[in-house]
Amino acid sequence: MAHDTHHHEGSYLTPKGGPMTVIWDWATTVDHKKIGVMYLFAILFMFFLGGISAIFVRLELWEPTRIVEGVVQGQLFAQEGATSISAGNDIYNRIFTLHGAIMVFMVLVPSVPASLGNFFLPLLIGAKDVAFPRLNLLSWYIYVLGSLFAVTAIILGGVDTGWTFYTPYSTTTDLEYWRVAIMVLGAFILGFSSILTGLNFVVTVHKLRAPGMGWFDMPLFVWNIYAASILQVLATPVIGITLLLLVLERVLRIGIFDPALGGDPVLYQHFFWFYSHPVVYVMILPGMAIISEVITTHARKSMFGYRAMAYSGLGIAGVSFIVWGHHMFTSMSEAASVVFSALTFLVAIPTAVKVFNWTVTLYKGSIAVTTPMLYALIFLFLFAIGGLTGLPLGTLATDVHLHDSYFVVAHFHYVMMGGTLMALMAGLHHWWPKMFGKLYNEPVAKFAAIVVFLGFNLTFFTQFFIGVQGMPRRYASYPDAFTTLHQWSTIGSLMLLVGFLIHLFVFVHSLVAGRKAPQNPWGSLTLEWATDSPPPEHNFHHEPLVTHGPYDYESVVPPGMDPADYPIPGASPSATVVRSPAKPD
Amino acid sequence: MRMLDTSGLLNAGFALPAGINDTLTRLWFRGPATTAEGQHTDWVYIGIFWFCTAWFVLLMGLMFYWVIRYRRRPGTIAPASPNHSTKLEIVWTVVPTLCLVPMFIVGFQGYMHKMVAPGDAIELSVSAYKWNWDLEYPNGSQSRESTTIGSRPVPIFYMPADRPIKLRMNSRDVMHAFWVPDFRIKADIMPNRYTSVWFNTSLPADAATLGEAHGLNESSPMWGVPYSDHWVFCAEYCGNEHSEMAAVIRVVPEDKWNQWLGTIGTAGLSPIDLGKFIYQRKCASCHTIDGSKGTGPTWLNKWGYESKYTDGSTAIMDENSARESILVPAKKIVEGYSNQMTSFQGQIKDNELEAIFAYMKSLSDRGGN
Repeated sequence: MAHDTHHHEGSYLTPKGGPMTVIWDWATTVDHKKIGVMYLFAILFMFFLGGISAIFVRLELWEPTRIVEGVVQGQLFAQEGATSISAGNDIYNRIFTLHGAIMVFMVLVPSVPASLGNFFLPLLIGAKDVAFPRLNLLSWYIYVLGSLFAVTAIILGGVDTGWTFYTPYSTTTDLEYWRVAIMVLGAFILGFSSILTGLNFVVTVHKLRAPGMGWFDMPLFVWNIYAASILQVLATPVIGITLLLLVLERVLRIGIFDPALGGDPVLYQHFFWFYSHPVVYVMILPGMAIISEVITTHARKSMFGYRAMAYSGLGIAGVSFIVWGHHMFTSMSEAASVVFSALTFLVAIPTAVKVFNWTVTLYKGSIAVTTPMLYALIFLFLFAIGGLTGLPLGTLATDVHLHDSYFVVAHFHYVMMGGTLMALMAGLHHWWPKMFGKLYNEPVAKFAAIVVFLGFNLTFFTQFFIGVQGMPRRYASYPDAFTTLHQWSTIGSLMLLVGFLIHLFVFVHSLVAGRKAPQNPWGSLTLEWATDSPPPEHNFHHEPLVTHGPYDYESVVPPGMDPADYPIPGASPSATVVRSPAKPD
Repeated sequence: MRMLDTSGLLNAGFALPAGINDTLTRLWFRGPATTAEGQHTDWVYIGIFWFCTAWFVLLMGLMFYWVIRYRRRPGTIAPASPNHSTKLEIVWTVVPTLCLVPMFIVGFQGYMHKMVAPGDAIELSVSAYKWNWDLEYPNGSQSRESTTIGSRPVPIFYMPADRPIKLRMNSRDVMHAFWVPDFRIKADIMPNRYTSVWFNTSLPADAATLGEAHGLNESSPMWGVPYSDHWVFCAEYCGNEHSEMAAVIRVVPEDKWNQWLGTIGTAGLSPIDLGKFIYQRKCASCHTIDGSKGTGPTWLNKWGYESKYTDGSTAIMDENSARESILVPAKKIVEGYSNQMTSFQGQIKDNELEAIFAYMKSLSDRGGN
């Protein structure tokens, strides 16, 4: 039957004993849900660290640096009475490196796949777990180890290379310390976590789909996580090798990238972006994965152009391997730049197709603007800006001007934060009741979402202008002409901080005092809503048999819902979960 | 060389009143580019801006309209509607693809204009290092004047108006990049190969003239000369004073430039003045002369005093230890500082070393004489 929820078995969250037992149980768990939850909290903590460092970056940029009567003014990090700007610059450079490295390697790359992906990928295909549960636990500990390396480098004084570790600066700075090497090794280790998680997901999708679920019956979340996982498996080894070469050059002085030793610094850029461009799509595809689920559920509408959505995810993944050169238009040969510019435009097509499909899915829907839906709409708004501002960066004549300016900073924040992180917020609010079995305060969460939206635009839209007008990125101080726009940007970043703190409050309040969540609060048709909230340890009481598509809102009553609320002519209640004869109760 | 008449294109291309695009250019760029190639970039940028705005308004318009129009009403479900339309999907794949082709082409054209310098360009060489640049004029001399952007001292590169100038650039240490926002040009500067930018800019009709405010006196060849200034920034992160690595390109009429070139040789300078000149060009970004701490130690009362090094040794600053510090700076690091200095081996001539010694002596009460 659709919902035999009141079962003797507890949820995956039910403690199995005293505090020590619980800690041991979580530390050694091979349950994809617990691993997903641990990732989620680790990633949110890292997001907090990265966010705080972003606030410091913005505060430093509140004023241009001035030297008045031999004293440095308007520089947050210069000590009292400082007459030299270099001390303040030194701290600023470490803080923005910290921000970038944490946000990319410890937040954005693992964000959606490792947390929500781990938790929901098996549920959405009706599986009990991922294909290799122990490998999954190993990925988690590798992530922890990699993060510890990075944190160690920070505690030892930080790294001032920028998250891109461009040579020869990164192999010649700070030689008397090991911080850069430790940081780079941290990123190297984190890469293994990515590879193993990706591999696990690919095998899971291939082998563990519930009976009756063909490839084109899979929810789009699964399709996009699948595409991102392929990228992780194929691209991450390249950065692994590159970072290892970097460490070898630093430690053993073998000439690979440093021209003083006979190397070529542009080779490093090629290696780095050969990974780091596909990884942009490792970050955004899972975000797109979430948006497809949230929009269909909250608009109660079938996904428009399902197959195009599935193929465009794979298309983006494929094209992403041949566009890395657009990060290097000012350092490559002219011929290579022209080729990469043309290829770069290719990636715009499948991305545009996705945006059109999401938008048209709204047509004739039954749209409830819940918190997750609000975040999905915010995603569409911000991601559209992020995507469209990619056009002048792919166009050669304009990119030569905009490259390495604040325009680029604004562009990738619109895509990465406006895209991936807003999608993560949408997914978190969408699945929170399922993950923790608790509802949250919707009006307050929506208010926070609007504060985040306004703060985000204030922070980053101003930066498009700052960049076009001539401000390079990674500047601790700047000419007075940019002061006003920078101050608006900083005010926006403080609004973002306030918005996220309200969200934190909403989540904590939900965990402590939230009302119990029903099985299917949004009336969704995908499989995770056919089981309890929170799900039992083995996900489903019975192996699900898939008898309808994930988005058949026009013909099927969602599991756990009252058919009276669904006046669908000739519809029967969802038969998503049936008793499997092979597995009696 | 070909000149691009972009002002006409800009408005003809979009059939909009001239005022709107001019206003947009001012809003985005603060003002039009000051080279023809740069104006082409502005035109491309504004064109893409209109393209993006149109798509954005269309998409967001539909999104907001449908979210309101099809808001959920209790007790009803969404009516069945097609969830797939091959025709529509082909249209919205092909149309954007076709739109992107001209975008690529104009971008390519503008790029080639920026990359290929005319054959008659005056070629100057730029040498970049942490955190400054040296520009060598055709007669082998370097400019010794500096100005400020905000409050930071930056070198002035004098350039003739209405002549194509090509800068051939190389780095002595890490990656840098040469960005002139007003010209919309940028190129990375690398330690192992030459890169270049070129530009050809004019003076505006209402150009201001150089005078007392620029630290000149009436005997200076630049006195009363019309000029326009353009910022240069380092756009590739290069370490501590990346954000202080800037310059000003000061464009002056070509005859005045030629006249001025004849006066800037260092031949007639006394050793102290030559030392001061070299200091300002190469050393001032890290070493102060007022006793305050910079990236490196101050030169005030340095000569003749004892320095303590991180390896525990000490030495009196004299000709030998100064020479070693300049040519092999990594060998010994003064206590309290880190290894930041680039070697000047091969960059500095013996008579210039002597001049630096003379200048350092003049800054110390133990400098003798």
